[in-house]
Amino acid sequence: MPLREKLLHHRKNYRLIFGGLGALLLLFAALFYMAQRGRDLPSALVTNKMLLFVLWYVNVVLILIILFVLLRNLIKLLVERRHRVLGSTFKFKLVLTYVGLSLIPVLLLFAIASELLRGSIDRWFSTPVAPVLERGNAVAQALYDQIGATNVRDASRVLREIHGLDLRQAQQRPRLNRKMGELLPELHLDLLAVYEGRELVNAMVNPQTGIRDLPEPDLSFLEEAAKRGEATTAGGAPGTKGSLLLAAVASPAGSASLPPVPTTEAEREKVRPPVIVIVGKLLDPVLAAQRETLVQDYQAYRQLEVQKDDLRASHMLLFFMVTLLILLASSWTGLYLARRVTVPIQALAEGTRRISSGDLSHRVDVEADDELGVLVDSFNRMTQELESNKELLERSNRELTTSNERLAAERALIAAVLQNVAAGVVSIDSEGRIFTCNGAALDMLRQSEEEVVGRGVDEAWGDRERSRLAAVVHEAGQGAPEETAAKEVHLTLGGEWKTFEVKVTALRDAAGAAQGRVLVIEDLTELIKAQQLAAWNEAARRIAHEIKNPLTPIRLAAERLLRKHRVGDPGLGQAIEEGVEIIVREVVTLQGMVDEFSRYARMPRPRPAPVDLGRLVGETIHLYQNVKPGVDVAAEVDSQLSTVWIDGEQVKRALINLLDNAVEATDAPGRVRVSAHASNGHLEIQVIDTGRGISPAAKEKLFLPYYSTKGRGTGLGLAIVHRIVTDHQGSIRVEDNAPQGTVFTVELPMG
Amino acid sequence: MRAKLALLGFFFLVTQARAAAKISDIKVQLDGERVLATFTLQDAFDHRFSERVDSGLPTSIYYQIELDRDRKRWWDQKLEDVTLEVVALYDAVARSYTVHYKLNDKLIESKTVRDRKALEEAMTIIDRLPVFEVERLPKEGRALIKIQAETGSRTLLSFIPVAIKTDWKESPKFRAPRQP
Repeated sequence: MPLREKLLHHRKNYRLIFGGLGALLLLFAALFYMAQRGRDLPSALVTNKMLLFVLWYVNVVLILIILFVLLRNLIKLLVERRHRVLGSTFKFKLVLTYVGLSLIPVLLLFAIASELLRGSIDRWFSTPVAPVLERGNAVAQALYDQIGATNVRDASRVLREIHGLDLRQAQQRPRLNRKMGELLPELHLDLLAVYEGRELVNAMVNPQTGIRDLPEPDLSFLEEAAKRGEATTAGGAPGTKGSLLLAAVASPAGSASLPPVPTTEAEREKVRPPVIVIVGKLLDPVLAAQRETLVQDYQAYRQLEVQKDDLRASHMLLFFMVTLLILLASSWTGLYLARRVTVPIQALAEGTRRISSGDLSHRVDVEADDELGVLVDSFNRMTQELESNKELLERSNRELTTSNERLAAERALIAAVLQNVAAGVVSIDSEGRIFTCNGAALDMLRQSEEEVVGRGVDEAWGDRERSRLAAVVHEAGQGAPEETAAKEVHLTLGGEWKTFEVKVTALRDAAGAAQGRVLVIEDLTELIKAQQLAAWNEAARRIAHEIKNPLTPIRLAAERLLRKHRVGDPGLGQAIEEGVEIIVREVVTLQGMVDEFSRYARMPRPRPAPVDLGRLVGETIHLYQNVKPGVDVAAEVDSQLSTVWIDGEQVKRALINLLDNAVEATDAPGRVRVSAHASNGHLEIQVIDTGRGISPAAKEKLFLPYYSTKGRGTGLGLAIVHRIVTDHQGSIRVEDNAPQGTVFTVELPMG
Repeated sequence: MRAKLALLGFFFLVTQARAAAKISDIKVQLDGERVLATFTLQDAFDHRFSERVDSGLPTSIYYQIELDRDRKRWWDQKLEDVTLEVVALYDAVARSYTVHYKLNDKLIESKTVRDRKALEEAMTIIDRLPVFEVERLPKEGRALIKIQAETGSRTLLSFIPVAIKTDWKESPKFRAPRQP
């Protein structure tokens, strides 16, 4: 949501909250004002039945609203709890706590306040005001009753005095007038009137009273007097501030109602209404006012007392209404706060569920400006990052799939190549476990794929014969990582003697980290057989040649002797001596040759024993020093190599053969050097010369028997060296010396 | 407190208390175009009512008068209703009672009486009150008048106002006059 919309939403939210609070405040202020004004209002209005009912129904509506709000939310909460909606328990507890915390004190306050109110109202009416007012009212009424009784008595006297006068006769009027004029002062009356029914006959007013006009009595007053014979009342007197107490006496009494004033003589003759005498006495204004006040006060008190229950009810209803409003406000606030807390939590939970189901486009759209808001923002940022990461991942995955497919194709190609190459190829991972092994290797080693792949070299090649292969791997592992080690290994597999050349090459990634090793195994058995066959052919040719060489002088000597003998040459004797000498010499040569072959053929197995290598090398070197002028022969033996386990005689013989060749091949000025030192657990002996060097073609056949580049000798020297070295489980290799010459390196296992 | 709260709901439903007073002697007369009702409210002036009247507070008796069409096997059909309010106001200074009669809030008569008996009669004996028009009577079938009086209110549990009403009282059933 954009920032502007967010701010507007927040502003609207705050407006709602502040509006609600303001309305509540106004409502309470209005209630307070009403309560204050209630004192000044007429009690009849305060306790008006309509007001009571209105208050009651307002309360009922409030109760219903609260019940609706609470029950609705309670049911929702219970349903949410049953469905284990996240946050429902927290919401339930929060609402329960909030409502409980407000409900208990508010209800307690209501109970205490209502009891106090009830007690207060009861106490108002338990004070001794009522008897005082009642007695005052009784005194005031007694005064009126007394004056009324006097008035009735006076009116009765007037009625008696005028009895016999025919009031309808005009000639009787002066007499009536005179009589009334006499009785008015005599009876201390302030008003005297004579009625016939409703019709006024005559009236007199005491002029000293200040009454300006004759007060008109109520018809009900006249009718009551006509019905009951007498009646009293009180009323105002025009022109004065006093109260006029009137008494009426009728004769004859008992009329149910007074007929209307006749309008014709016939009607007048037909109807004879009762004569009614009304007398009046003006009460002192002060006394009248005091009496009136007293009566009114008493009435006001009685009204209050009568309305006591209604008064109490109206106040309690007001209390109840305020209580309900507080409850409504607190419960709503509790729900609102709970919703503010739980809605984001629920939205987050829903968001988590949607995210876990794979909908990474889901965002939590809940407004909150507190820590929950921070949490929501963090969640949305997290999902956004997850979504972008997922897109990246998917793109990478697609690329990776393509790459894998390409690699798989390449790997299949490589596997096909490896399967079809004649050489055995075995890959070993960095932990020494065989990763791949092509068919050629399996065929060479007479193993199945299950026996090899996935196993360690010691496990796959654990038997006595194949363990030599494992040893080569281990030896290569101990050497320099970048080196390629090569070794010839002889194994007897399936009863067949096999010769393998094993090359171990380190595998490295682009960063140069070691990834394992690769073994390339080549079966040299047939090659060696072929080479041996060729060597034997060569040897036979050489033997034939070597044998032929002495045979020729022998044959020539023998033929010469025979010819001299046939011709009887006198020099036969000398010829015999010379011929025999030649034959013997050549035979000796042949004998030496045969011995040499015999020794090579019967070369014993080496018998290792502790040998002082320095001494052995020194003695050998000593034989060749000063043999060839200009050729320096020297030795460098590591001082730490004091004693080694070798067959000293055989190694010395090998050294002599190597030195013999080196010295012969080195022209003056030249140098021949023998060095011996330990290297990777092996004894390494090098014979280095600065001689003519050896051609690559010669190097391949150098160690074959009867191979010689010198044109003389048996050609068994280097073959013997090779035989001694291999019998020691060692190896020998020949390399060019820089800048000139040859290096023979013999590696023998130490110990 | 708990009992009070429990009763609160109950008394909310029963907000009409039955009065000891009762309507009696209902008579219906047809006077030309008007239907006149005569009836008496008995035992309305109990101590509480008398106290209220003598205190000088305006004290009313509401007569709810219904004109119904009689139906034998179903509830009667209400045709029209009127309310007669009889208000008594005591003047303690003059020691007289003024009684006003209002029919549907319209003042139709006022009178002043000077003793309690007259007041009681004035408030409880309604004589020949024109309540309905004859033309409102059903053309077919019988009609009847039902009257109920409300004599004031009282409070339950100190704060629940309850109207005090009599039972409905029915007049003898009658028919509209036949049209010539």
